[in-house]
Amino acid sequence: MSPITLILIAIGLGLAGWLAGRAKAWSFQKSDANVRLVARPTYHAWYVAVWVALPVLAFVALWSFLAPQLVMQTVLASPGAEALPSFGFQRESILSEARAVATGSAQGVFNSDAEALIEPFREAISHYNLIGLVVTVMIAFAGGAYAFLRVKPDFRARTRVERTVMIVLLLASLVAILTTFGIFASLVFETVRFFGMVSPIDFLFGSFWGPDPMSSPEAADGTRYGAIPLFWGTIFIGAIIAMIVAIPLGLMSAIYLTQYANPKLRAWVKPALEILAGVPTVVYGYFAALTVAPAIRDMAVAVGISGASTESALAAGVVMGVMIIPFVSSMADDSIAAVPSAMRDGSLAMGATQSETIRRVLFPAALPGIVAGVMLAVSRAIGETMIVVMAASTAANLTVNPLERMTTVTVQIVKMLTGEGSFDHPATLSAFALGFVLFMVTLALNFIALRVVKRFREAYD
Amino acid sequence: MTVIHEKLVDTNAKMRARDVSVYYGDKKAIDEVSIDISPDYVTAFIGPSGCGKSTFLRCFNRMNDTIPVARVTGTIELEDEDIHGNAMDVVQLRARVGMVFQKPNPFPKSIYENIAYGPKIHGLAEKKPDIDEVVEKSLTRAGLWDEVKDRLDESGTALSGGQQQRLCIARAIAVDPEVILMDEPCSALDPIATAKIEELIDELSGRYAIVIVTHSMQQAARVSQRTAFFHLGKMVEYGPTSDIFTNPIEKRTQDYITGRYG
Repeated sequence: MSPITLILIAIGLGLAGWLAGRAKAWSFQKSDANVRLVARPTYHAWYVAVWVALPVLAFVALWSFLAPQLVMQTVLASPGAEALPSFGFQRESILSEARAVATGSAQGVFNSDAEALIEPFREAISHYNLIGLVVTVMIAFAGGAYAFLRVKPDFRARTRVERTVMIVLLLASLVAILTTFGIFASLVFETVRFFGMVSPIDFLFGSFWGPDPMSSPEAADGTRYGAIPLFWGTIFIGAIIAMIVAIPLGLMSAIYLTQYANPKLRAWVKPALEILAGVPTVVYGYFAALTVAPAIRDMAVAVGISGASTESALAAGVVMGVMIIPFVSSMADDSIAAVPSAMRDGSLAMGATQSETIRRVLFPAALPGIVAGVMLAVSRAIGETMIVVMAASTAANLTVNPLERMTTVTVQIVKMLTGEGSFDHPATLSAFALGFVLFMVTLALNFIALRVVKRFREAYD
Repeated sequence: MTVIHEKLVDTNAKMRARDVSVYYGDKKAIDEVSIDISPDYVTAFIGPSGCGKSTFLRCFNRMNDTIPVARVTGTIELEDEDIHGNAMDVVQLRARVGMVFQKPNPFPKSIYENIAYGPKIHGLAEKKPDIDEVVEKSLTRAGLWDEVKDRLDESGTALSGGQQQRLCIARAIAVDPEVILMDEPCSALDPIATAKIEELIDELSGRYAIVIVTHSMQQAARVSQRTAFFHLGKMVEYGPTSDIFTNPIEKRTQDYITGRYG
């Protein structure tokens, strides 16, 4: 009896409860015309259905976790289990083979020791299936009966149902928040392990990055874990080069679209610009690696800079900047459009030209929103991976020459986790420490951006 | 047809509108209105909501240009010069014909910068002492100097509604316009602030040609010497304020004034 069957039973019984609840509520109205129900019959119906289904669902969730363990316990207590090896890989495989045959998902056993365990498995499974089914039905009936008995003309079924709906909605929103905490907790846990092997001082302030996954994990060399070149690469590519491209282009397109473009053109250009935000970053990566990077190299060679690499920080940064344009322009667009038109009219009526109005009135008024947009864009850029993986390089390099190879935090996370390194090795664990730093920085940027936007909104309302 | 009280032939007009019509797309919002605006008196436009009085006012400094679907026909002259003509730039026109809006709209800048904005963009005052002088003079004329002289670097939006509106009037007169258009300048203000603005309008008349749109007939009676009554896009009657209010010729004017509609 799989959990799915139990859930279907719960839904079926819930439906029955729904109909019963409604029928009872109707009957009050039918029997006496003077009776006025506090809640409409549908709410009584839902009230009963919820009382049938929700406890059952809670039980099923618990049971699907509990039942396999109870089955295993029973099987291990059976006489056939005495021949099992006491622990390890072999024991596991024998048990899972026997279970597979017992549930019918495999035909025969490979390991003869498993033979003796098939029958105990079969018995235990059917035993606990029966228990599960009986308890499910009992819970459903108990819940249903309780709710059904409470259905009376003056029972406030609607408020109960609405409260249930609210709780479901609350749980749904908690999932996202709890996930964030989960991510944070797992990062912290692994980061602490990493800092047990490598000193945080070495990590945060060291200027040489070259973890050696082949070295002995016990004697980690802290001097090989200096993350400064990675932080610098991330800032240089994501926050400097990308922003030099994205801020002017994004702002100018926003100004054009809000102030100069006629509505027809705007209706066409704005979605087109937003499509740019929907292009998968891998595709940008191709573009950066195959088109932009060689072009930049050729240009550098043409002006006499020898030794320019095909993997340059400039290529990655420029393409990333293009990717970020829609973020900057749509935030700037929104905040310029949010400046009251009275402001614009006031300036125009003073005899200011359109560009004076934009420069001296609209832009300063929209500045907080624009700053927030830029910060969100920066946090997006420094968390970006694919473009830099493909177009920059994996070589950590502390330099200000944009034509050099450079790497970023995200690229190193990918590199450290996709290798075959063991999770006990500081080289692998360093990925978590890097992720932690990245997480904190983007969190801070988003937080500040949201605060700035909030203050800005209050200014005009 | 518009009833014009016969004694109104204006030789000293600053602006003349002749057969002005305004269309929003296909809809005619103003139908062939002619009027003279003179510095000798305050002109009030009255009429029920949606009669087109604000639309017509916005023709005088071409603010209808900012509405893409709006189209203006007929001629408007400022000192015998066509404001739609080649010789007149809209930027210069708006420097000579200032405007005060319904809702106070100071820029989110300091009080000082709000006033200095116009003189700076038009190059009327370049050096700091000159700008200081313009700021003080404008605020004094707008009756706001004593209230704000110690906090010129505070934001203009931090002032009260009535002070904001006087700041907007000061901002408008800082570029020394010839005409000031006021679009229901008191509709967002309380009675005390309204009284101050009305007093100010009285003081400014004579120096500037003032046109005020208002939906308050008492206000029109208090501040203006000439009144034009608009209804459904047409100017129904125009004449000395006292005549319009005590002895209107048109029945529609009479009905509006006595509160029968509008």
